[in-house]
Amino acid sequence: MLYPWRGEFIIGSKDSQIAIDTLSSSFDFPKEKVAIWGQHKTENLGIEKIVANVVSNPNIRYLILCGEEVRGHRSGQSIQSLHVNGIDENGRIINARGAVPYIENIPMEAITRFQKQVEIIDMINITDKEQILAKIDELASEKKPSFGQPIVVQFVEREKTSQMKSLSGKISLHKDLLVDPYLDVEEMEVIT
Amino acid sequence: MMSFSKEQKIIEIGDLKLGGQPGELPTALFGTVFYGKKYREPDAEAMEGVREFIRRQNELGEMTGNPSVIDIYLGDEENMASRIDLVLEEIPEKQPFSIDIPESEIRQTALKHASEIGISNRIILNSFNLAAEPEELEVLREHPPGCAILLGYNPKDFSVDGRIDMIESGAGYIEKGLMEFADEFGIKNILLDTGATPFDHNAAETLRSIPVMKNKWGLPTGCAIHNTVESWLWMKKYRKEHKAEYLTCDAGANALPVMLGADFCVYGPIRNAGTVFPFVAMIDKFVAEGAEDYFGVAQPENHPRRKLE
Repeated sequence: MLYPWRGEFIIGSKDSQIAIDTLSSSFDFPKEKVAIWGQHKTENLGIEKIVANVVSNPNIRYLILCGEEVRGHRSGQSIQSLHVNGIDENGRIINARGAVPYIENIPMEAITRFQKQVEIIDMINITDKEQILAKIDELASEKKPSFGQPIVVQFVEREKTSQMKSLSGKISLHKDLLVDPYLDVEEMEVIT
Repeated sequence: MMSFSKEQKIIEIGDLKLGGQPGELPTALFGTVFYGKKYREPDAEAMEGVREFIRRQNELGEMTGNPSVIDIYLGDEENMASRIDLVLEEIPEKQPFSIDIPESEIRQTALKHASEIGISNRIILNSFNLAAEPEELEVLREHPPGCAILLGYNPKDFSVDGRIDMIESGAGYIEKGLMEFADEFGIKNILLDTGATPFDHNAAETLRSIPVMKNKWGLPTGCAIHNTVESWLWMKKYRKEHKAEYLTCDAGANALPVMLGADFCVYGPIRNAGTVFPFVAMIDKFVAEGAEDYFGVAQPENHPRRKLE
């Protein structure tokens, strides 16, 4: 499945070897020249979406980071750090300066593949579209082979911690909280 | 509409009072200034606009009774001091304000700066969270703010229990729970933020966590649920042609935490104050009336229930 993770992106040619992360800026690019592009706000879930979608298309060999960096989140710097340094044992992107730079929903296999599959082209804070278009043309002339089989990372819904049921006319808000029909909240000791 | 058997603390920071049983005090509303590209450079016209937004939010706070909290977004170090100064010039001496600073290094600089100019007691740190680096923990120990919002955001577990675990134990990301650290640092006033997550990322658990956390700790609790609306993919496209409808959803989302007992809402850009304040005041009236009718909870004279008859 191509681009399995939903997001705010535009799909161009699946045969193009270029993906573009426009950070907080918005651009339109010629669809025949670019595989996929879009904005990218967050240094955690946003990066996960980009990685999952990029590794689903082995034709993508370049990821251009351009447009204005996202203040505070530093999404561009954070995805660069992921590419260079990976994550530590807690899932934190090593040396990322973003607010909460943690990767939790994609396997290490996808991160390693992302690091190997694409070359990052650093144009962070470049907002001149002509410069970006020139870079697209330059990269198009530097053909690289497809990276082999795609990796499809499915978004896995997290395991539910408990299943609620209503008890004798009362309402369960949570496993520890029982509410009577007039919303008097009391703590529960045991729920089965 | 609901009442907790657990005692609900009321905290006071300067002239701001919040917490208590649902319906007891008005919901405090945090509106954010300096967020967005427009404020990247200290443009004089934009700064004058910020002053007007601050005055307007404070007027709305006076009118409705919902406490106005100016939330200062600081994305870079260069403009930090001047932006804090601007807010201090516009708000009364007893009014606290919050600082929303994504980067740990800038948070440290801001905490030290606040201490140097003697305003730490007016600072609400928004927020103390899992990304606090060891250096930041040291700065917090040396220069504790008057109040800190502990953020329940836990990247590996968005369930209610995961969010609680972040506050209680650090969830494996930091060596202790945020609550224990805050206590060690001597931060006297604690607020809890359940940590809004996007749709399909257990967004509803952001809301469910509110009564659960209030029941567990008895502390003022809230969230920035507007972030869930803002990250809604379908709405991102729809809002391009339907701004008014987007703003309705953005403001209307604040009804949800308040109905579940929230004591504060971080509602997003301060320019939306005109919509958010009357809206939340209305929800507060419903909640307060229900609290008095059924639980005998009375409201002070500055509550929207009394002010906006």
